[in-house]
Parts: sequence; C-alpha cells; structure tokens
Amino acid sequence: MEFSFSLLINAIAAGLLLGGFYAAVTAGIAISFGMLDIVNIAHPAFIIVGSYVAYIINAKFGVDPILASIVMLPAFYALGAAVYQVYYLSFEKRGQESLRGLAFFFGLLFVTEVLLLIVFGVDYRSVNAAYIGPSINIGPIELPLRLLVPCAAALAMFAVLQIFLSRSFIGRAVMAVSQDPLALRLMAVDPTRIKRIAFGISIATASMAGAFLIIIQPVIPSVGRDYIGRIFAICVLGGLGSLPGALIAALLLGVLESLTSTFYGPSWAPAVAFGILLITLAVRPSGLLGR
Amino acid sequence: MANSTNSITVENIDAAYGAVRVLEDVSLSASSGQTVVLLGTNGNGKSTLMKCVMGMVRPTKGRIVAEIDGHSHDLVGMTTEEIVDLGIALVPEGRRLFPRQTVEENLLLGASRMKARPHIKNNMDFCFEIFPRLSERRSQLAGSMSGGEQQMLALARALMLNPRILLIDEPSVGLAPVLVSRTIDAVKQLKDHYNLTVLMAEQNFTQAIRIADSGYVIVHGKIVFEGKSAHELNNNDLIRQLYMGM
Repeated sequence: MEFSFSLLINAIAAGLLLGGFYAAVTAGIAISFGMLDIVNIAHPAFIIVGSYVAYIINAKFGVDPILASIVMLPAFYALGAAVYQVYYLSFEKRGQESLRGLAFFFGLLFVTEVLLLIVFGVDYRSVNAAYIGPSINIGPIELPLRLLVPCAAALAMFAVLQIFLSRSFIGRAVMAVSQDPLALRLMAVDPTRIKRIAFGISIATASMAGAFLIIIQPVIPSVGRDYIGRIFAICVLGGLGSLPGALIAALLLGVLESLTSTFYGPSWAPAVAFGILLITLAVRPSGLLGR
Repeated sequence: MANSTNSITVENIDAAYGAVRVLEDVSLSASSGQTVVLLGTNGNGKSTLMKCVMGMVRPTKGRIVAEIDGHSHDLVGMTTEEIVDLGIALVPEGRRLFPRQTVEENLLLGASRMKARPHIKNNMDFCFEIFPRLSERRSQLAGSMSGGEQQMLALARALMLNPRILLIDEPSVGLAPVLVSRTIDAVKQLKDHYNLTVLMAEQNFTQAIRIADSGYVIVHGKIVFEGKSAHELNNNDLIRQLYMGM
C-alpha cells in the first residue's frame, strides 16, 4: 500500500476516536477488576444489554441513545448492586471467589447472551440519531460524528468517574478496599457496602458504553465477546486500579489498531491487543500508571 | 452542659480461637483522660483483647462498656464500623496502612467517619505539626515509606477519625529504639492535645511506663498485676522478674 500523510493522520484520528470508545468499554472493568479484584468477565454482556436497552428506547420513543443510556443509569446501578450482593453472599463471604466466582461470571455472560438471542434473535440491530452518517472535516482529517459523539461522551463519563474516585470519601474507599478491607472497617467504613456501590457504578458504565457501541456499529448478542480480550488488555496496560492509566491505554490501543488495520489490513488489528498484553506483562507488569 | 467523660471498661471477658483459650476472665478499665498500658510479651493476648474491644473478635463471656461523651454503650455484639463510629479508634498491630494510596489519601480515609469530616483541616494541620515528615511526604505512597514514618502515619490516620478513645496495639514493633521513644512521645502529645483516653498494648515496658497513668500486666491471657500508678508499675517484683530478669 502506498504511504500517504493524509492516510496516516486520518488513521491516527480514527484511532483516537475509537480509543475514546474503548475507554468507555473498559471503565467498568477498570473498577471491578482493577480496584475490587472482581474478575467480571460478564462485563461485555452487560454492555450488550446496554446496547439493546438503548435500541428499544430509541426504536419505541425515538429518544437519543446516549440520553436513553443516561436515563437508565440508576437501573444499571441497581442491577450491578444486586449482582454484587449475590456474588458476595454466594462466593466472597465464603472465600471461594477466585475460581467459583469466575465460573459465576462466565455463566452470567452466557446466560445473558442466550436470553438476548431468545428475545431479539440474531438480526443486527441499530439505532437512529442525527449524528449517525455525517462527518466534519478539519483540513485533510475526516471525523465521522458517529465516532466523535460517543468519544466525547466517553471522555466526559471518564472525567466524572475520576473526579468521584479521587475527590469523594466513597471514591477513596473504593480505591482502598481491595488493599485492606479490615483496615477500612477501622475507618468506620463497611467494605461490603463500598464494593456494592463500586460494582453498581461499574455496571452503570455499561449502560453508556452499550449506547456508544450501538451508535458505532450494529449489534448482535454475541458481539460482546470481541471486547473481552481488549478490555482486559487495556486494564493491564494502563495499570490496575488507575482510571487515567486505562484512558491512556485505551487511546493507545485505538491508535495502534487503527494504524494496523489501515496499513496492514483489518484482520491483523485484533492481534494488537494481545501483543500489547504480552509485552506489558513481560516488560512492565505494573502497567503505565499502576501503583 | 455536655458530659465529656470517655472511658472504657472490660468486665470478666473470655475469648478463644476455636478450642484455644486466649483470654480468661480479663477485667480492666481506662478512665477518662488517662493513659493505660497493657504490658505483656508476645502471645499473651494483648492483641486479642484489643480486637475484642473493636468487635473483631467476639468474647465468649463478659461485657465491654464504653462511655463516650457521657453516654454508655455495650460494645459486645456491635460491628467494628459501629464501634469506630462511636469514637473509638484502633492503631492496629502491623499498622495496616493502605500501601498504594498516598499519605494524604490515607489521612483522608481516616476522616471517612461522618463526625470527623468537619474537623479535617484542623486535624490534618495538627498531624502535620506533630509529624512534619508526613507533611513533606504527603503525596508519596504509604507503602514506600520507612517503618517509623509508617507508624507516624498510622497514628495520624487514627487521629483523623477524631476519636475520644484511642487504642494502640504495639506501636514499637519493628522500630529502632530511637524511633520507639519518639513514637511514645508522640502518643503523649496527641493524647494531651485531644484529651484522649488511651489504652496502649506494649511489650517495651520501659518506654510504655514513661507515659502511663496506670497499667496492667497480662500473662497467658490473665491479668496478673494491676498498677494504679506509674510508681506502682515501676516498683513491682513481678514486673522486675518478667521484664528485667531480676
């Protein structure tokens, strides 16, 4: 393929936009896996649920998918808190979380996927919004609004989360809870309550990430699996427990994937995430901003 | 007028880990504004007694009553969080800081307690005044500090809870002698400034006795001696025998 400057700069721009979306997809895992030590591999399934919820509200009432996902945040938060409660009572409380907990989330992933298949079938679903289709051009760079709007909303969501985690009492407790739950109790804070809140928030992010996903591409129930590898790779590259690290890692992965698919072909793009994961684990296991 | 009596009374408690009896018929009390030391070597039940008070180990028998600002509370059966929320703080054995959080974040975590939040600024300023090292290192990760600095941070973090009663479990463990003496001095300064009631478990007898108003000696889970004053503690044959080999 012939190299051209405009191709390169467009690939980087598209990669950054994609990276913003990856950041939204990763945010929930950065909290549950990175801060709570809960290996929630069912997270992509919750994102797909978010996509379908946005789809239903959009198709029935014509509401903007991102707005719909914001309205649904409390419902997703409640769902997350309930899932955590089940996980806590069934596994964590008995000290069986590592292996059985993993199996629990695996089960949740498949059950959710199958339920969506039964209800919605295997057809691709998509949403309608004014910003799906047009692009804006800045010089030689073409920015599709379909990517730009989710990216901007994702960055806003990330900023809110980061401010909450670093500035509020609950946020600081969320960052501390996996380090020493007993010490947290000595600060008059109930670690189980903190984990329930944090897990609720992590699932709430799936509502918005799901809306972003269905804006960017049509969705079928199994599409979430494409993201499992990517989001864990982003978490590890960014450094467990660090939201800013996850954001940088997501943008980096977006750009690298975009460059790879522009210059080497789209089939190579998925290899980038796992390549990065391997290199990170070998060279800097604590990740970019890991503490 | 608000009553500001803050005391703790342990009455005839037994505690066990499974079949292993750790405490047997232990009674002690720390009255308001006093520093009471609990002396004993390793494995005699000092930490377990602390844990009983904090609701981390449930005694099989007996009562633990705390009086906070004149209100009396029965602690047995309460959760650790509830007990801390009353205004009883523990500086635990091994310090138990949050190693991947900064000094400042550790201190702010201490102020999670609702009643402590209005006093954050005053308490933090005072902590930094007593421990200037913490002020210099406020944005450093707690886990990367030396043992002495970590002990200072553990004490400071407990103070951020704005407690009435402070329990300290073996502050001298793992510290060089000069730091032990400095830590004990700091406990005295903090106690005087906040008019705290302090119960401190220690095995370094000579250091602990410097700031004690009264004390107990615990051996194999039983209180074997009660000293009603520092003088009594200092001039006791049993203590000489146990600690000084005389």
